[in-house]
Amino acid sequence: MSETHKEHPSPTKYVQIAIVLAILTAIEVALYYTEDIVGALAAPLLIVLAVGKFVIVVGWFMHLRYENSLINKFFAGGMILALILFAIVMIERAVGNFI
Amino acid sequence: MSDAHAYPHEPTGVETRKLGFWIFLSTEILFFGTLITTFLIFKGRDFPGIKLTDVYDIPFTSVSSFVLLMSSLTMVLAHNALETDDQEKTRVWLLATAMLGAVFLAGQIYEFTEFYHKGFELSTNIFSSTFYVLTGFHGLHVFIGVVLLLALWGVGQRQRGLSLNEGMNLEFIALYWHFVDIVWIVLFTVVYLI
Amino acid sequence: MRIQLSQPDNNFLSAAEYNAMFTMHGTTMIFLAIMPISAAFFNYLLPLQIGARDVAFPRLNALSFWIFIAGGLFLYSTFLFGTAGAPEGGYLDEEVSRLASAPNGGWFGYQPNAGLKYSPGTAMDYWAIGLQILGIASLVSAFNFITTILNMRTKGMRLMRMPVFTWMTFAVSFLLAFSLPIIAIALFFVTFDRQFGTTFFLTEGGGDPVLWQHLFWLFGHPEVYILILPAFGIVSEVLPTFSRKPLFGYPAIVFAGFGIAFIGFGVWAHHMFASAISPVAQAGFGLSTMIIAVPTGVKIFNWLGTIWGGKLTLNTPMLFALGFIGMFVIGGLSGVTHSVVPADTQQTDTYYIVAHFHYVLFGGALFGIFSGLYFWFPKVWGRMYNETMGKIHFWLMLIGFNVTFGPMHWLGLQGQVRRTWVYAEETNLGFWNLIVTIGAFILAVAILVFMANWIYSRRKGEKAPFDPWDARTIEWSIPSPTPVWNFSKAPEIKSLDDFWHQKYGEDEDGRAVRREGTDELLLKLEEEGLNPDEEIHLPSPSYFPLILAFGLPFLGYAIIYKSVPLALVGVILLLIGGFGWGTEPLEEEFETSEENPDAKESSTYE
Repeated sequence: MSETHKEHPSPTKYVQIAIVLAILTAIEVALYYTEDIVGALAAPLLIVLAVGKFVIVVGWFMHLRYENSLINKFFAGGMILALILFAIVMIERAVGNFI
Repeated sequence: MSDAHAYPHEPTGVETRKLGFWIFLSTEILFFGTLITTFLIFKGRDFPGIKLTDVYDIPFTSVSSFVLLMSSLTMVLAHNALETDDQEKTRVWLLATAMLGAVFLAGQIYEFTEFYHKGFELSTNIFSSTFYVLTGFHGLHVFIGVVLLLALWGVGQRQRGLSLNEGMNLEFIALYWHFVDIVWIVLFTVVYLI
Repeated sequence: MRIQLSQPDNNFLSAAEYNAMFTMHGTTMIFLAIMPISAAFFNYLLPLQIGARDVAFPRLNALSFWIFIAGGLFLYSTFLFGTAGAPEGGYLDEEVSRLASAPNGGWFGYQPNAGLKYSPGTAMDYWAIGLQILGIASLVSAFNFITTILNMRTKGMRLMRMPVFTWMTFAVSFLLAFSLPIIAIALFFVTFDRQFGTTFFLTEGGGDPVLWQHLFWLFGHPEVYILILPAFGIVSEVLPTFSRKPLFGYPAIVFAGFGIAFIGFGVWAHHMFASAISPVAQAGFGLSTMIIAVPTGVKIFNWLGTIWGGKLTLNTPMLFALGFIGMFVIGGLSGVTHSVVPADTQQTDTYYIVAHFHYVLFGGALFGIFSGLYFWFPKVWGRMYNETMGKIHFWLMLIGFNVTFGPMHWLGLQGQVRRTWVYAEETNLGFWNLIVTIGAFILAVAILVFMANWIYSRRKGEKAPFDPWDARTIEWSIPSPTPVWNFSKAPEIKSLDDFWHQKYGEDEDGRAVRREGTDELLLKLEEEGLNPDEEIHLPSPSYFPLILAFGLPFLGYAIIYKSVPLALVGVILLLIGGFGWGTEPLEEEFETSEENPDAKESSTYE
């Protein structure tokens, strides 16, 4: 194993991260219930929260923060490609169906 | 691979199997990306018929989400335990992760059964088709993960400890498990909440 | 197909049979011919070109091969077991012959035509599930090749010192890795629509047929670059060798290759100009399609620059490489005409398109592949092919190919519709269709000549030296046929075209001058190549990839015939294969006979 040089958060740190994730989830659920108050802000906020949880799990639990940049590039590359391709298809279908 | 002394070792500095595994995970992004996109394309469409919003139960799914999220914690604790060579703790956390995964799956099955009773079936309409295939593939991935976790736990149990090589396997199973969790993070928001 | 179309109003094949023939022709050529042959080249050459002993994941490599075999057999079993019915209310006969009971929805399976309502029976399920299985084989090999290129290079083999063929393997692997998951989902959607009543592509249930087209072509367009890039790589090796000049503009060729791969993900809807997409989409994709011609053109000019001023040897591999340039440029030119949206609206679904893609896939990819087959023949088999027969093959093929596909350009522009079993006398298309058919038969003769040459030369061909072409890259520095361990000791690379520079220095004008020690060097290489002085460990053979691979067709049959027992057999095979593989110790591969005199697991060479 080539784990020798890598930093590792301690178990306590991991539990703290998990608590943050739980709080974020609680906020998400709260947003769902208070949608009439929050209004149009709900969707973007939910997306921000989801992205936040995503980044936390990928960065710390999956260790990407501490990994070689090559791996980061693969992951980012896949994500960016997927996001762009699918944005194009969704926009195209949305436009296609309203014409 | 062979003759480590004669051949240069990993010019990228990344362990070979880990590199391969991350490449696999990037392709899974395309896999789930396609499923999620398809779901989103149809989500807002004006088509008559029963929709997910007519049948879902957010409190229940929130608890399920929380369970899966916590299983990522137990997974990372299992990995940590192996790093510090605490074989007992490793097995405990592995089992905990598998159990939490199984609870999540049980929740999914219960949820789907309820939906079926309310008339929201796989072949009902496009909303149900996209929903079930998306969450179904996710569930299948969770199931495979649980099987892998139990297998590794079993190997550890039988051998009274995981060797260095099997430790690598734990790392990959952990990456896979976390990936399944982040897909759910996206799914929960995009399918249920928004 | 060509016999049927040789005359108007013909009935050699029924409509149903014709549909099955063109579907299986396309599907077979793409998934069971060009892709596997390219994969074979990658498999054989990649480790050799980067100086490695093996790929990064040897068992995964075996899995890829066995899944390909399993998937191909599954797909073709449709001719034995498949059924194709007449669509409800359609005009075709109720009963279709065995030949027609094969997938008949086109290699692109457009929905809802290829869905359950209009293509009843099991044939299109064999298609969807067969492709699903074959896709896994390619996906798995993509992981392997990317990791191999990154992590298994020998000393000094920096990325910008790798041969162009290796770079093209790299690009193709990325294309496969990112496009196959998309078609996998699309095929799941089709299978679910056909088998489990979902409504992804059925408007009755709120679905969208155009979604299929998007998903299919999101894969389908990168797919055509997957088909052509290996040939680009091969030609980039052959041309310098037989021009006795380095490749012109190596960095440009490498970056253009990646440029094509990347832009290739952004042109897919040019297959949909006549489908229900918005004018904005049409304009955008028309533009991106024009843009992709630029890196392609860069490569062509670099190849021409390579040949220019070189001392050419016009042997069979070189002839095919030159033929490749000519034919591919013609195909590329017709391709660029398709990028003009209004023009394409006229051209689409006619034989003009058929002409285009055959010029790039046959005149391009296949000519490139033949070039490679002849070029590396001596390296793989240790024998020389028959040069005269090779030349006969080339000329018959070049003539036959142009006689077959050339007229399709004007047949298409005159209005001959593709994917249609018959055309009427009044269309006046008969004469050129007959010429096309004659061309097809000339091609058949050319292939027979090739096969005869191949079979004969493998056994009785003259023994070949290990460097018969005085070539440039390191795979030519080891014995032919290549030893199982590839390199006796890890080569140390000091530059691009390292082997050439070992043999040749340069004078003041930059011309190649054979070094004094070269003869000795070649003798030394031959001797060392066959007698490694260190102990070499190779991975032990494993049955588990084979077992795992053959679980997949069982799952396929289980879905089609709704059979739980078959599904169980499939799952059990997968589990045995998977667990056996996962618990098979890696360490056993590395046990030397000193550490453990009883070790029988590893294959050790001394």
